[in-house]
Amino acid sequence: MTTLVVATLSAREVGRRWAALALVIALPFWFYLVRRDATGQSMRMLTLGIGWAISTLTLFVVNASRSVDPRLRLTGASVLSIIGGRLLAMTGVGVALAAGYWALTWVDQDVLHPWAAALMMLVSAVVAAPLGSLIGALLPRELEGALALFSVVAVQMLADPAGLTAKLMPFWSAREIGTYAVDGGSLDMVGHGLAHAGVTWLICAGGTWAVFQWRLRLARYPEP
Amino acid sequence: MTDWPSAFEAELLRLGVQPARARRLADDTSQQAAETATAPGEVFGPAHLYARHLVAELSAPVAASPRTKFEAGPVLLSLTGVSKRYRRQTVFTGVDLTVRGGEVAAIVGANGCGKSTLLRICAGLTRPSGGTVKRTRRVGFVPQDGGTAGWLTAEEHFTLFGAAAGMVPGRAQSTGVHLATRLAWRPAAQRVQHMSGGTRQKLNLVLGELHAPDLLLLDEPYQGFDQGTYVDFWQQVFAWRDAGRAVVVVTHLLHDLQNVDHVLDLGER
Repeated sequence: MTTLVVATLSAREVGRRWAALALVIALPFWFYLVRRDATGQSMRMLTLGIGWAISTLTLFVVNASRSVDPRLRLTGASVLSIIGGRLLAMTGVGVALAAGYWALTWVDQDVLHPWAAALMMLVSAVVAAPLGSLIGALLPRELEGALALFSVVAVQMLADPAGLTAKLMPFWSAREIGTYAVDGGSLDMVGHGLAHAGVTWLICAGGTWAVFQWRLRLARYPEP
Repeated sequence: MTDWPSAFEAELLRLGVQPARARRLADDTSQQAAETATAPGEVFGPAHLYARHLVAELSAPVAASPRTKFEAGPVLLSLTGVSKRYRRQTVFTGVDLTVRGGEVAAIVGANGCGKSTLLRICAGLTRPSGGTVKRTRRVGFVPQDGGTAGWLTAEEHFTLFGAAAGMVPGRAQSTGVHLATRLAWRPAAQRVQHMSGGTRQKLNLVLGELHAPDLLLLDEPYQGFDQGTYVDFWQQVFAWRDAGRAVVVVTHLLHDLQNVDHVLDLGER
């Protein structure tokens, strides 16, 4: 139950930050608009924008909860319910954002495999939440975290998709699925993308859990 | 005519208090008076009498507690030789404190002497570098500031902290509202970021008590309280004590000490 309460209240908290929410929604749109004339480029940029927006939002949500989390632990909440609830909420926000932008591209672009385009955006949103959470866990200050995320997205954007560097980046999965969605080709690309996304999600979510397990650990004292 | 802080400091020196400590006590006392925008003489009375009172309070043995109405219960917190070090810097060392159910302990000392760190050690949020800590399992912790989410309302906080303690939302909210009324506060649908500092601290207090802990750890919880709420707060502390709970309060308001059962002075840094 704690997980659901944390998720509900985290989502409500984000929903009240109108300015931040508007910027998060707008960020992928600028990415999309710049290369709207080229379907492949605009779709890939849009997807990366979704990932960047959701990971940054998650980073800020995680950092904003820094002073509440130890008290929740002391009151009886488990680390898993705290970070799980927050991930659930941010993933939900990401899925909603991805759904909205998929609807836009469905209307505005001529995509070869629309379902794969939807999957590409979904994967980006789902991976972004634990990525932002992990960076927030590792870098407690917002500026440092935001700059780290910026670096990750910049490398992802500029690296050769076929090279090792791009494959080591968290959003390679979305790019791989996107290539199939826009250009067609072997369905194996979707499989590779999903596998990459699964591994990335596990690393980021597991890393977040490990860091918070350590940070929110309580000294176990014997009873007098 | 000598001004009040100087007279106070001079009397402390005459009573054998070390110069640096006398200066700090004089500064703290002046600061307390300034917080209420009142002259120190009006708040504390004649400087020489307050100095004697304070020295007596700070050096009073445990047995000198004026309260004898209720019997102390079982030990709920026990610190033996507790120390804390950050790298090569020792914050404090050899701290001993035993608090039973039905007792109030105050932790006092200069800024930076480790009062909040000691309280966090009691809570289990920070590990001691040495010594032994034993404490009851059910503990409530009220930090000096923070500890709340700015975009949520008080009732949402009750739901959140209630869920952490295994309470259903309805019960958590009704309990929270009930506890708030004891502090003369009726929670409204207002976000924490829009609350005054005093109201935020009331919320902090309620959150610390929401799950009915046996031991309450309060870190200067009255920041921003007006005079009436401040009195309500201490009445609430004594109500907890009389209900058999143990309360540990970090404070710099030295005139609070006359009603507590233990005073732990961490002294100068």
